[in-house]
Amino acid sequence: MTAESPMRKGRPKWRTVVPAALLFFAALVVWEVIVRAFEVPAYILPSPTEILTELIAEGRSLTTDLGWTMLEAVLGFLAGSSAAFLAAVIFVHVPIVERAAFPWAIVLQTVPIVAIAPLLTIWFGFTLVPKVVIAAIICFFPVLVNTTRGLRSVSGEALELMSVLSARRSSIFWRLRIPSSLPYVFAGLRVAATLSVIGAIVAEFTGSDRGIGYVIVQAAYRIDTRLMFAGIALSSLGGILFFNIISWLEKAAIRWPDARMEDQ
Amino acid sequence: MRFGGEQPVRALRDITLQIPDGEFTAIVGPSGCGKSTLLRIVAGLLEPTEGTVSVRGKTPDQARRDVEFGFVFQSPVLFPWLRALGNVLLPDRILGDRNPAHGSNMDELARRLLAQLGLAGFEGHYPGQMSGGMRQRVALARALIYQPSTLLMDEPFGALDEFTRDRLNLQLVEVWSNSGTTVLFVTHSIQEAIYLADRVVVLSARPGRISRIAAVPFGRPRPLAIRYEPDFASLTGELRSLLEEDPDTTDGMVT
Repeated sequence: MTAESPMRKGRPKWRTVVPAALLFFAALVVWEVIVRAFEVPAYILPSPTEILTELIAEGRSLTTDLGWTMLEAVLGFLAGSSAAFLAAVIFVHVPIVERAAFPWAIVLQTVPIVAIAPLLTIWFGFTLVPKVVIAAIICFFPVLVNTTRGLRSVSGEALELMSVLSARRSSIFWRLRIPSSLPYVFAGLRVAATLSVIGAIVAEFTGSDRGIGYVIVQAAYRIDTRLMFAGIALSSLGGILFFNIISWLEKAAIRWPDARMEDQ
Repeated sequence: MRFGGEQPVRALRDITLQIPDGEFTAIVGPSGCGKSTLLRIVAGLLEPTEGTVSVRGKTPDQARRDVEFGFVFQSPVLFPWLRALGNVLLPDRILGDRNPAHGSNMDELARRLLAQLGLAGFEGHYPGQMSGGMRQRVALARALIYQPSTLLMDEPFGALDEFTRDRLNLQLVEVWSNSGTTVLFVTHSIQEAIYLADRVVVLSARPGRISRIAAVPFGRPRPLAIRYEPDFASLTGELRSLLEEDPDTTDGMVT
């Protein structure tokens, strides 16, 4: 149906969580064993326990950096997603705007984010702005595409029903299009949530004095592989956390059981 | 009659039909004969390229804006985020003051309609938790809640199994006889048409033309078993032979 399935079936939690957690720990154990058995130097590949030690030692400053990165990601997410939602609403109601603007949205999507980041750093310096803008740009497209599709997911018969009731456009929008679009919108938001963290870190690479991206770049100069891995682990954790918050919001917003409107 | 698209299709021609207030009229015909098109023209959802339709002295579009129509589609078209009661009350929420019955206790009315259709106790269920037959009954209640003068039904029970369909036929006749609504019921089942209607209009294949308007001679209430009586069977056979004369109507012939 969609690239992102709009709704996922509920299943007992432990049945999905336990196997995944077991695989994760098994991989860590194999990693640890390989590093120790072959005496791999720490600057090439530190073992999981070394990374954990580093995380604990640098915990305080790393958490502050993660805080900055997440702040940039969340602000970018909010800005990019709201802009995309608005654009989708306009696209659906004024097709000429969509024909004019959609090709450029695709072009914007194909411009490598890494290539824009230094430019934004020149314009806005070592401030929050370049990071938020990059995160917003990277969030824009998935939310735009999914929301447009969601607002259009309304069946012809549902629109005829509204017509039989001679419903106003605002009525059709709020009572039919918006609720129909929610599963699609959240599919887009889930993608955007993870992307926004990536966007913020990429922007930090090119010009910043704080944030996980900054930590990783600095550690790379010093070939401090342990710190790099600690940064990678923390930023993944941030992305996963953000993703789960959006999933939780989705569950709170979409309470009805899955039933396509065309269903018999 | 034509409608948009690259190659316009002439779906209907020479349709002249007068329907008295409160009558139950069924329209049968092979698939693709323009039955649904006819219904949508009457509802003011489609513009005919030629000809006129008058609904209680108004154009279909005017009648639509005055909310004269209830429409039941082939699929229930319920909103999955609303419970059964919410779906039935949807027209009132949209119509507000324009609902002729607005102001009286709509909640009460909706519950009564659902109960009449055998759905008492299911008011709080979501469409996703109901069977196809139950959903279609909710759709029927939603069409009746604002007491439209004309109820248009587009093969509403076509996708249901036979037992569910029989039960819904009985309930539909009961609800209709209490309401005084004019019904225009499109189906591809001759038997269903005769069982339900006062008059059956038989359409030929595309472009749809009226090949016969048959008055149904049976009184009401009609038990389901009437369908197996000789008079009923001979009328069914007669109308069926009309459709089979047509060389293009080999498909869509369902009893």
